[in-house]
Amino acid sequence: MHGGNSRHLVPDVQHALFQPLVAQMALGIPIAPPDTPTIMEPILSVKFFFLLLPLTLYAQTDAGISHGRALFRTNCAFCHGLTAEGGRGPNLVSAPLHHGESDEDLRNTIRQGVPGTTMPSFENFSDDEVRSLVDYLRSVSRATVKRTTVLGDPQTGRQIYTKSGCPACHRIGREGSVFGPDLSRIGASRPLEYLRESVVHPSADIPPEFEGVTAVLKNGKRVHGVRVNEDTFTLQLRDPSQRVISLMKDEVQQLTYDKQSLMPAYDRLSPADLQNLLAYLASITGTAHGAVKEAEGIR
Amino acid sequence: MNRWLLAGLLTLPLTAQVTFERIVNASKEPQNWLTYWGDYGAVRHRALNQINTANVKDLHLEWVFQTGQAGISETVPLVVDGILYLTSSEGYAFAVDGRSGRQIWTYKYAMPPNTKLCCGTISRGLAMLGDRLYMVTPDAQLVSIDAKTGKQIWNSEIAPVAKSYGGTLAPLAVKDKIIVGVSGGEYGIRGLIDAFDAKTGQRAWRFWTVPGPGEPGHETWAGDSWKSGGGPTWMTGTYDPELNLIYWGVGNPGPDLAGDVRKGDNLYTCSLVALDADTGKLKWHYQFTPHDTHDWDANETPMLLDLDWKGQKRKVVVQANRNGFFYVLDRTNGEFLMAKAFARQNWAKGMDAKGRPIKLPNIEPTEAGTRLCPGLAGAANWMAPSYNPATGWFYFPVREQCDVYYSQPPVYIEGKSYWGSVSRAASDEREWGLLKALDPRTGETKWDFRYFRAPWGGTMSTSGGLIFSGDEDGYFMAFDAKNGKLLWKLNTGTSIKTAPITYSIDGRQYVTMPSGGVVLTFTVPSAK
Repeated sequence: MHGGNSRHLVPDVQHALFQPLVAQMALGIPIAPPDTPTIMEPILSVKFFFLLLPLTLYAQTDAGISHGRALFRTNCAFCHGLTAEGGRGPNLVSAPLHHGESDEDLRNTIRQGVPGTTMPSFENFSDDEVRSLVDYLRSVSRATVKRTTVLGDPQTGRQIYTKSGCPACHRIGREGSVFGPDLSRIGASRPLEYLRESVVHPSADIPPEFEGVTAVLKNGKRVHGVRVNEDTFTLQLRDPSQRVISLMKDEVQQLTYDKQSLMPAYDRLSPADLQNLLAYLASITGTAHGAVKEAEGIR
Repeated sequence: MNRWLLAGLLTLPLTAQVTFERIVNASKEPQNWLTYWGDYGAVRHRALNQINTANVKDLHLEWVFQTGQAGISETVPLVVDGILYLTSSEGYAFAVDGRSGRQIWTYKYAMPPNTKLCCGTISRGLAMLGDRLYMVTPDAQLVSIDAKTGKQIWNSEIAPVAKSYGGTLAPLAVKDKIIVGVSGGEYGIRGLIDAFDAKTGQRAWRFWTVPGPGEPGHETWAGDSWKSGGGPTWMTGTYDPELNLIYWGVGNPGPDLAGDVRKGDNLYTCSLVALDADTGKLKWHYQFTPHDTHDWDANETPMLLDLDWKGQKRKVVVQANRNGFFYVLDRTNGEFLMAKAFARQNWAKGMDAKGRPIKLPNIEPTEAGTRLCPGLAGAANWMAPSYNPATGWFYFPVREQCDVYYSQPPVYIEGKSYWGSVSRAASDEREWGLLKALDPRTGETKWDFRYFRAPWGGTMSTSGGLIFSGDEDGYFMAFDAKNGKLLWKLNTGTSIKTAPITYSIDGRQYVTMPSGGVVLTFTVPSAK
């Protein structure tokens, strides 16, 4: 690497991950009416998919797909995972594509990015490169996505969401706090299993922008909050009342990065309540409320 | 004739005439900054002490120059008799009054429309010889500019942009020649170092960093792999006038991370080459990382020092290499004297007697990923180090960051990137950085200062007892060279990607730090 502008390593994306997110007006698929609570789920389990992956790839060793795979690994894998099954960014293999499903839609999404999210525009790609990427994505998403029923009732789930105090930290549309991740598109951007894990075991994956920090000041005062930003000399935290706390490190006696999520584990919900809550979360794809989302954080 | 006019005419030929002799003796005119490194040896120390450990706390912003080009700035201004000459991205060069920051002229390179570039439009700066400035353009041209007017005199192609050659470095002026290198190591180029006649722009000599058939070193490349073997030369070299040798770092082999298609040591990639300045003939070479598969270019600064080495004075060249080791070589003949790790590394057990690394097993990129330190960007990189003669220490930024390397069969398509693999940050680990003072005689750390992120900012040393540097969060800082104590800092608002300089005009010392789209210049209140 020459230290110049190396778009093939997408350094800006890495940086963008630490920026607050503002989701755009959702462009996604229409949601199902409340009486048929459905979301998209992969027909194949994740494990089975892994077994299948090498076979499908070797069966289609087309130059375009292989080139696309290389491009994907270098440019997209940082967010979407090495196998396109998602990471920081959405799963592109077995989840619905919210910005259009046609080849043309995919090409536009790659070229133009998704304004208001961390998906950047890849304007520098040649037509061939974009085509190869789409070919590659098609080759790995052959595990057809079909609609399956999510057990549970989203309406009841919504009551559980409110009753459990979730809005005190999370925002959906224009309601709730920005202390924790914004959930306005959570059903679109995260698979069900990830949602389940986030509810019952939130410490399993803590996005860096929601890392908890405890600072003991030299005057003995203890401060606790989400790390908004940190550099060599300063630290900015957001406390549960959504206030920004500015700290100079020379005022701080001890700084501890929390291993645990600031979110309590909701592992005592009854199975039915949990299922209803998950059904509600899965139904939030950004279109339900029709509002332009103004808050940050969709993870 | 008016005597003032006469005086003006008499002094005119002296001002802005940067002769070869002046550059050789650059450290004797500390008020100026005559080359990219400030001097031929890249010591980056200035005998200016008006700004010092006692008063640096009063350092204040004197002026700001806006280049109009947002984003990363990697330029290092030249200072010649009160005028700063600097570049920005998109092919711009500027002349700026060193006292006021007011612009004198602007030059913009006219790039042919729709030129596809390998390596962006970053520019690291200029060379000056006589009344002319020299700049390498993003599309691998060398241009000569009239320093008085900013008008272009000639341009010469270094290497074809259509074959993915690019240019980001500041040229090096030696005698009557302008020496340049190329970028494009990720695109399967065949690397080179070129010398051009400073007057005419005619090529004087070329050195291929990847030897062709029949040339020594060619046997270190399997099959035809040498044709796209990489070996870019994207950073300015150094020069020893007594030995008449140029020292130039050579970058990674191509494809970067897939070694199977280019079995062998892959000379002269990841090496330092010593070339005769008049002919470009190879005098000696030393390879830091034979058969590299981790993009550990050796383009880091080859600093020239005269050190007491085990009781005898030796002419050495030192380098903090991207692979995590600090090296000392005899610069008369390339003899390996010492290598010591200065950062976390898990790829080499050590060095054999000749300085060849003894590689550890399981360090190659794999399908499942191999975690290795340093990461792809290296423990050091192109960020300038400096040396302070009072302490005898070497000051440089250290990147503590590891990567996971994934293998993938490489496909070479002309004009396309040719990595052959992928690396990603080891995401469960926090990176950090250090500003380190190291004794070049032992490789021992004397002090370090911890940064929150791995830095991209270089250093500068002054006889005011100060080390200046910048971090990735944008802080421009001054440290006590003796103990690493932070004496002053300012948040410049964006990450610092280049090294500061200092100069003096009318007896007043200034410090300049480019950061993002601005060039910031500082001074202390003048003596009453």
